[in-house]
Amino acid sequence: MSTLQIGSRPRAASTSPTRRSTPRRSDSSRWLILGVMTISVVYFLAPVWWLLVSSTKSDSGLFSGNGFWFNGFHLWSNIRSVFAQDNGIYARWLLNTLVYAGLGAALSTLFASLAGYALAKFPFRGSGALFNIVLAAVLVPQPLLAIPLYLLFSPVHLVNTYWAVLIPSMVSPFGVYLARIYAAASVPDEVLEAARLDGSGEVRTFFQISLRVMSPALVTIFLFQFVSIWSNYLLPALMLANESLQPVTVGIVGWQQQHGSGNAVPTNVVITAAALCVVPLVILFLSLQRFWRSGMTSGSVK
Amino acid sequence: MTAHAQPRELRTDNRVSGRRPLARAAASRRNRNIALLFLTPFALLFLAVYIIPIAYTVDQSLYKLRHDGLGLGAPTKVFNALGNYADVLRDSAFTGSIERVLLIGLVQVPIMLGLALLLALLLDARSTVLKRFFRLAYFLPYALPGVVGSLMWAYLVDPGLSPITALAHDIGWNLNPTSSRMLAPTIGNMLTWGWTGYNMLIIYSALQAIPPELSEAARMDGCSAWRISWHVKIPMVRPALILTTVFSIIGTAQLYNEPATLQTVAPNVGSSYTPIFAAFTAVADNDFPYAATESVILALLTLIVSFGFLRLVQRTGSIR
Amino acid sequence: MRKRWIAAAAGVAAAATFGLSGCSSSGTSGTSGSTQGPASGPVSLTFWGWAPGYQQSVALWNKSHPDIQIDWETVAPGSKGGYTKMLTAVKAGNAPCLAQVGYETLPSFAAAGALQDVTQYASPDQGQFAAWTWNQVTIEGKTYGIPVDAAPMALLYNKTLFAKYGITAPPATWAEYSADAAKIHQADPKVYIGYFGNDAYNYAGLDWQDNAPWFTTPNSSWRLGFTSSAGEQVASYWQGLVSRHLLSTDQSYSPSLYKDMAAGRILSDVNAVWDAPLLASSVGKSQSGQWAVAPMPVWNASAPAYGNDGGSATAVLNGCKDPQQATEFADWMSTDSGSVTNLIDVTGIYPAATSGLSNPALSAPNAYYGNQVVYDVFKAEMPQINTSWLWGPTMTQVSTDLGNDLGSVETGSQTVAGMLGDVQSKTAAQLTQQGISVSGG
Repeated sequence: MSTLQIGSRPRAASTSPTRRSTPRRSDSSRWLILGVMTISVVYFLAPVWWLLVSSTKSDSGLFSGNGFWFNGFHLWSNIRSVFAQDNGIYARWLLNTLVYAGLGAALSTLFASLAGYALAKFPFRGSGALFNIVLAAVLVPQPLLAIPLYLLFSPVHLVNTYWAVLIPSMVSPFGVYLARIYAAASVPDEVLEAARLDGSGEVRTFFQISLRVMSPALVTIFLFQFVSIWSNYLLPALMLANESLQPVTVGIVGWQQQHGSGNAVPTNVVITAAALCVVPLVILFLSLQRFWRSGMTSGSVK
Repeated sequence: MTAHAQPRELRTDNRVSGRRPLARAAASRRNRNIALLFLTPFALLFLAVYIIPIAYTVDQSLYKLRHDGLGLGAPTKVFNALGNYADVLRDSAFTGSIERVLLIGLVQVPIMLGLALLLALLLDARSTVLKRFFRLAYFLPYALPGVVGSLMWAYLVDPGLSPITALAHDIGWNLNPTSSRMLAPTIGNMLTWGWTGYNMLIIYSALQAIPPELSEAARMDGCSAWRISWHVKIPMVRPALILTTVFSIIGTAQLYNEPATLQTVAPNVGSSYTPIFAAFTAVADNDFPYAATESVILALLTLIVSFGFLRLVQRTGSIR
Repeated sequence: MRKRWIAAAAGVAAAATFGLSGCSSSGTSGTSGSTQGPASGPVSLTFWGWAPGYQQSVALWNKSHPDIQIDWETVAPGSKGGYTKMLTAVKAGNAPCLAQVGYETLPSFAAAGALQDVTQYASPDQGQFAAWTWNQVTIEGKTYGIPVDAAPMALLYNKTLFAKYGITAPPATWAEYSADAAKIHQADPKVYIGYFGNDAYNYAGLDWQDNAPWFTTPNSSWRLGFTSSAGEQVASYWQGLVSRHLLSTDQSYSPSLYKDMAAGRILSDVNAVWDAPLLASSVGKSQSGQWAVAPMPVWNASAPAYGNDGGSATAVLNGCKDPQQATEFADWMSTDSGSVTNLIDVTGIYPAATSGLSNPALSAPNAYYGNQVVYDVFKAEMPQINTSWLWGPTMTQVSTDLGNDLGSVETGSQTVAGMLGDVQSKTAAQLTQQGISVSGG
């Protein structure tokens, strides 16, 4: 248990028969816990609630009255405006983001798990140093690497293409870290040895056995990377000039920045667009949560 | 660096090769070939996306752009050795920004991680109801893209528009989140709001991995839930706490989004409020070498602080 | 298990080709768009900018000029990342041919080597433009683009609310402005005549009006004038208003500023011509018809002079392979009557081209401003705007420093005079550090 294990307990299944026989906790501490958790929920959700409520308001009703409560209900017309603005480019932006985040997260998870697995299961001279280099890279301020990347991508004509955003999205040093720790703790050497004796190649063993054992960690890596690509702004803003290639974050900021001209995008449309782009992330989290749960609770019967 | 936090984990590496010398050499060679095959895709991308840009940044930090006359023609790039480093370290705006993030970090990181740990423990408590709802609620801020968060907070802290300020006024509290005194707390609040859920999830996952028998045994011995948390659970999630602390140190060092958001509504946030902010300002001034120097210094300082922290916990860890 | 893996791999491969096709379709438009030589066949040029309305002018051109096609791409406004992107693209060698660049930033671009000398193609067009705007695009004898607009400043004020506080004629001089400010604030302490914002170039317009140039070049070196005596007159005037709390401290162009205006707490704005439509759309319909435009208050009513805040050029960026065609388009966009009409209507510009001044769009009454022909005010001001104003080569840094310090003045932790001294010394240090000669102080 010296290492961090995200997602699930990699140990073999075990049950805890003593569970039900322990005495119930007192009601007062139960209420205390519930109270603390409810206050925290208010703290974390109030700004999101503001965003939701604001997305139901008309442009003129946005800043009049209580910000935390409804003021007319224009959500549907706002959503229609978002998807009608600039010939419906918003849908395109969402699709782009989905491609960047989905593909980028999937590939980065695959590459990170390959690398982490190799570092955990096939140590060689220098593998420790290699791992430390990967971790040290996290220390370098990311935003400033965007400019050197641009200069690097330019001569090979990658700037202003899907690749300009996809390629950097495929790399996740944190993913390598997680995969290495998880592989070390959860993939038993005996299983690999047995597969070897059965004549299975290392690549096949990885895809058929190890990857499955590592799946809770993979879900974690995928989710973290997906969210970080979905949120990324600086890199795509620099790399992409063509509006139809941009992800939704760059698009929304573009709309927001038009503020300052006669025919700007109305603020309520910008706010609704911002609220809408969170929806797919919530759906993703809710659907992955099931995998997560199954991974996390595989060891205990509830 | 994090390998130091995982001493026992490193030892597992040697398990495979703990046989006779000859066989070990052969195994190592075989391992290397397989490992290289598995590492290649990541390594190539890592080289392109991290190593080359970092090398370029370090290289550029050794040059300086020189003009002549009225300075209205293209500059020439001259080698400046470590001259930029001397300039940056003498730049009071930059050193001031370092002090500022250090202060913000010293106060905000413990608050955030304390809250994350508390919430994780409560979520892990057996009697807690609505776990899925709470977990999603706490995690939601992290799922909001930074630009959406910025858009939102710009309205929520603007003293003229903020519904929070309006509520505070109603109870007689003259709250102005953008006054000079409140800037750092406001940034700290935005950080805590945005990142507690992320850290909580890491700690919570580590809690889930604790064998239930351990807590059960303690409970059978008559330990209260609080004592179990303190004596069993928290020590068990130490690696997760160390990891989240290191990440928070890195995140604080690279603070940019929150002050940049705040600047749109608070005129008193200067353009070198944080080190990264200062570097971006230098980039806008078309002085990439200066920005590169600031980034390298910042990375080195982050390395020192992270290492220092890991050393510290290692020492106290062995005493415990 | 295996089947699922193969399906996943197929999905990845399909998505990869999707990415590839996106790549090939956009590859050409992203680069400087000069794949063909100047002589052979149609050329395609990319144009980066952010002002709304430019795109419609580009579309007009593309319809009538099949041989030179322009690809418009919207980037972030210059100070919000657009300029950084342009400079980075020039460094990488794949900048667009054309870019929207403010006059104030052109010298910085020249100093970065980011502009292309198009004097030989542009000089025949010189006579079509107001002389000072041509001076703005010509640096050390080299012309780098074509002027688009000028930005004379005026007093936009809420006529109805002014009358409510007993002010029937807008202030014509700064002395009257100050008296009116006191009068309004006394009548209702929650109400202000205006605000002290944090827009560096708006402040520059105030100094421009009082002939307090920031940059001059006697003896081929820079002389800084932030703390000149004229500059100090402007500084002490505004410091007086701020110290007496006669101005609100909203940030320039912030939502809360417009909320205060809409609520009748801020009654006027000393701003440029392009602010008229912006203010109208930001304050909102509730005050439509209440506002009006008056000339900018002056220092000396017998010898009026006005300020300028903004204006931009269509610049030709370094690396453009078809500078002649680029210049041709840029000139067309600023002079063609269809294009200028569009830019007046949509962008709200004041044309830099002299022919543009007779454009009928300028005589249209503006409903928001009580059906006033607002451009008449700006037209009358134009001859009294100092035409010799120069911008220095480090304006990005100057505007950042000034913007920060203006914020400190708003919060009371800095004085206007202290701010100007600070900016002057920081600018001198920056110039010296880059090896540029600075003389005097």
